[in-house]
Amino acid sequence: MYRILVIEDDEVMPKIIERILHKEAYHLDHVVNGKEALQKLEETNYGYDLIITDIMMPYANGFEVLSRVKNRKEGKPIAVIIVSNAGNEDMILEGFKLGADDFLKKPVIPGELLIRVKRLLMRYQ
Amino acid sequence: METVFDFFMSIVDRFRYAPLVIQIAVTFTFIAVTLTAIAYLSILINRYRSYQREKKLAKLNPLIDDLLTEHILMNEALYNEETVEPVVPLEVFDKPVFSKKWARQALINRLTMYRDNVQGAMGEQLRYVYLQLGLDKDSLKKLKSSRWDHKIQALAELTNMDVPLADVIILPLTNSRNRELRATARHAYIKLSKNEPFKFFDVATEPLLRWDQIELFRIITTSDRIAIPNFAQWITYSSNKSIVSFCLKLVEHYQQLSAVPAVTKLLDTRDHYLRANAINCLGKLKIESVEDKLISMYDSQPHNCQVEILKAIGRISSGKHVDFLRQEFLHSTDFEIRKHAAKSLINNQWAAEALVQELVETATRENKLILKHCMNPLIKF
Repeated sequence: MYRILVIEDDEVMPKIIERILHKEAYHLDHVVNGKEALQKLEETNYGYDLIITDIMMPYANGFEVLSRVKNRKEGKPIAVIIVSNAGNEDMILEGFKLGADDFLKKPVIPGELLIRVKRLLMRYQ
Repeated sequence: METVFDFFMSIVDRFRYAPLVIQIAVTFTFIAVTLTAIAYLSILINRYRSYQREKKLAKLNPLIDDLLTEHILMNEALYNEETVEPVVPLEVFDKPVFSKKWARQALINRLTMYRDNVQGAMGEQLRYVYLQLGLDKDSLKKLKSSRWDHKIQALAELTNMDVPLADVIILPLTNSRNRELRATARHAYIKLSKNEPFKFFDVATEPLLRWDQIELFRIITTSDRIAIPNFAQWITYSSNKSIVSFCLKLVEHYQQLSAVPAVTKLLDTRDHYLRANAINCLGKLKIESVEDKLISMYDSQPHNCQVEILKAIGRISSGKHVDFLRQEFLHSTDFEIRKHAAKSLINNQWAAEALVQELVETATRENKLILKHCMNPLIKF
């Protein structure tokens, strides 16, 4: 079973993601900010296959989490999808520079998110 | 009873015959204590109300979430972008609680939150629910309220649900004296008006503040399906300087070369801030044909326009005016002018390699430092 970490401070988005991905055999964990995400990653020894993260969040933003995950020297690589409503070019480029695998602008098309998640998980298998 | 009355009268008598200073002090103390008590009481009442509201919402929101999840989020036919027929049975929302105003508002809030996060067929279904339940009427009612915060809330809801509004309703709000309402109405107008999203530029009498410009710029450049007009019309005819200045930024962003004649005409305007903006725009558009005019007007310009002219020559980088830049770099007494002349010289380096080399070798210590600073690609100014 694939493990997915959803980092999102919005109240509704995690519910939507959970509903979109519910049919697949995914185990979803949800945290509400970057600080909790980093704690969760440390606790589980980065035991996730995919991270879906927002950018603008309190304490530590999505870029900090992304940078930490992608700069790890050991362990299996983790795919990261940024889902954010900050859709300006600089933000998107910054995300890809830091190693994001995909960028989705809110509001998302559910089917598109599902396909992108599946594709990334297959690529990282 | 009589004792209480006597006690009260004795206090009144004491107050009446007390010295004036004591009377004033007692009056002020009484007013202060009363106001503090009222303040505390109103805080308590507000907190209690908000606690009650939260309690009611804590019960209602899961109910709304369940309905939306069951009928929209779980519906796989809605996972694609294509529009499908309405699939939500509206009777499921036919509950007594939704006849109450606060519950309808909670439903609107929840629908807008969901629509902030999903689009495509699912987003369309959320809009369908909003319209079919007549929640747009609640929003329109709020739009007519005398309270500006209600109007802002209504505009945000209608924009989110993509409900078109008549110009007679929204255009006056784009000129409201309330800064926040004005900004929200302008954003709403751009998003809701598909054919002429910039029509409010024609009637704008209030200035576009810097922060409003940043917000508008973000909305315009990140919104899909916006018809981009030729901004030259406002550059030429608008009497609102902030609109002209904003249009110059949009011309530059969309690289509208058709607006260049209008921008060039602005070089003769009496407002030097606007002139500086026009020079900046021409430089960023790399319009080589205006270089000679910029050089000829340089000496008569105020400092900000001179800096913009130097920057424009650097950006255009035609290599024709390196001698002018050299002169300004070596002989100007203003540090900023020298700095920008040096930067533009470096930008024209392809045409003046020998000159730059000579300057580096023969320059004073300070000039050499400026040149090295400008040559560093990591230092941007």
